[in-house]
Amino acid sequence: MAVSKSDSSRHDEFVSLYVRYEPAVFSFVLGMVRNTADAEDVVQRASMTMWRCFDQYQPGTNFRNWAFQIAKNMALNHLTKVKRDRHVFGEKLVALLAEQTEERSEHLDARRRALDLCVEKLPEADHQMVAACYAKGATIRSFAEKTGETANKIYKRMNRVRGMLQKCIERQLGLEDKVLG
Amino acid sequence: MRDEELQDWIDKSLNETATDEESRALEERLLKDEKARDLYLNAVNLHASLRRRFSAEEEPSQTSAILDFPKANRRKLIIGSAIAASLVLIAGITSKVFKSPPPAVIAQVVGAYGKTGNAILSGDPITPGRFEVSRGLVRLDFRNGARVTVEGPAEIDVRNDMHMVLHRGVVTATIPEAAIGFVVDTAAAHVVDLGTSFGVSVSAEGVTEVCVFEGEVEVSNQTAAKPRLLREGQAVQASEVSKSIDSVAFETSQFENAWPVNAGVLQTTGSMRFVSPGPNFHPGNYEDNEHIVVFPEKRGFLSRESVRVDMMDPGEYAKTRYKEKPVLPTGSRLTSYLLQLDAYPEGKNPNRRRSVRGQITFAKPIAGVITVDRLLKESEVVFGIPNVSYPSARTIEPRPEGDQRPGFDSLILAADRRTLFIELQENPGHLDQVRVLVEAE
Repeated sequence: MAVSKSDSSRHDEFVSLYVRYEPAVFSFVLGMVRNTADAEDVVQRASMTMWRCFDQYQPGTNFRNWAFQIAKNMALNHLTKVKRDRHVFGEKLVALLAEQTEERSEHLDARRRALDLCVEKLPEADHQMVAACYAKGATIRSFAEKTGETANKIYKRMNRVRGMLQKCIERQLGLEDKVLG
Repeated sequence: MRDEELQDWIDKSLNETATDEESRALEERLLKDEKARDLYLNAVNLHASLRRRFSAEEEPSQTSAILDFPKANRRKLIIGSAIAASLVLIAGITSKVFKSPPPAVIAQVVGAYGKTGNAILSGDPITPGRFEVSRGLVRLDFRNGARVTVEGPAEIDVRNDMHMVLHRGVVTATIPEAAIGFVVDTAAAHVVDLGTSFGVSVSAEGVTEVCVFEGEVEVSNQTAAKPRLLREGQAVQASEVSKSIDSVAFETSQFENAWPVNAGVLQTTGSMRFVSPGPNFHPGNYEDNEHIVVFPEKRGFLSRESVRVDMMDPGEYAKTRYKEKPVLPTGSRLTSYLLQLDAYPEGKNPNRRRSVRGQITFAKPIAGVITVDRLLKESEVVFGIPNVSYPSARTIEPRPEGDQRPGFDSLILAADRRTLFIELQENPGHLDQVRVLVEAE
């Protein structure tokens, strides 16, 4: 069966939109789901639904909001499933977070771009730790085991480094004064 | 000012070390404090970005290959392995959509030719786009199990495995549960299946007719405010001119060529007539002096009882003793058809005797043929349609060996095992029935 031109260009269109907005979608989902592995899973399933339903997406409209909508439903389904085992955010907070993420999406994009510069400015040891803890499949706990440090110590170091990165981002975006003042 | 308590909850949430109590406290705080939500979203955004950034070390060359990006775009697609993983999955779907199975294949062909006079061949895939049948019958089996028979002259568009457009011609559709929601569009109507079998036709004048044999369908058009729900035995008509959907008499004759193909019968010739199911669908309602009438019974039924039949090998049927009758192995899936000649006294010579002849060819091999009353009754328990009262005396009268007189019934199973030749003597007021069990598709 031949690939018709319109189908294949539709596919290219989807891939280019998806690749562009995937980081935003992942962050959106992670904020609701709060577990990295689960969030990856939800995003993956959402991406398949997006592709299946791509003919319902109106070109020229906001792909991010369309994708958020699908991802939010998937995340809620997931939370319903796991809420017996642990406390999860309720629907009300999820709705608030979704709304606020949509409103602030441009700002969050800007913060992501600024982060790239800030990561490069990290002291070598911190950079190494961040790279190791955030590598694919790695966790702070697994990094702690490997280095022989206590997990608790690494958690504290990581909290501090993330704080430094936030400050750097705000400096980059010229937000520092506002934040401090 | 830094809010140490909130920051602590957020850090623990990101590190996935928060207790349920801490998690609840965080939720409570976020619910009532918009600034706290900002802080939380910024933290998550950073956390997610770091994950994407550092889980993206390897070059996703494999993904690029699978997705077959145009070369010019490749540089832009230095993407994280997590995104890559998603895209590989999508590529899986994509390859299903674009490369491997087409939405439907041509499963059966009965004397069918395409637009240019080319013979249409069974086994060929149907790709999305225009498909024309100038004459004959073509059965399309969709990937999801939907089965659609098209009778030429017809023009259809297969959009995907849940959606086709009928521009003109006749189609009959059998939709299994997996394909509920299957759509047939015409210029005048939008037909949505709700688990059923139905026929749709579009005449040369552009009039759409929808006839429901079993189950329910929903019919709508652009002007009618509410979709019409059609149940079995109901039919409607719609045209672009009238703009309304009008009830019409349930009349299945226009589907009588296509419907048998849906039901596993390739062809009937001579005085053989296949009945589309509908309301009051039972043999007693079909007195007919001209035709041997064919009723589909249970379909694809797995029999756990052993079924005794009168004949299973090619040749002509002759009377045998009960103990000599072959028994079909249990555990095979079979589809049952009842063939009937039920003549009624008519005209100047109500008791005239003449014969009715016909031939029926099934899509699959015949497993067994049943004709004596006792075996018809036994097999009815298994294959009969529930709530139908079947008659008692109805056996056919084959020619005894050596008898030269005219006027006996004849039943021949052809060597292909799919075709049955039947000649029945019409005897007004008397009933002949034969049950044919065919291997299920």
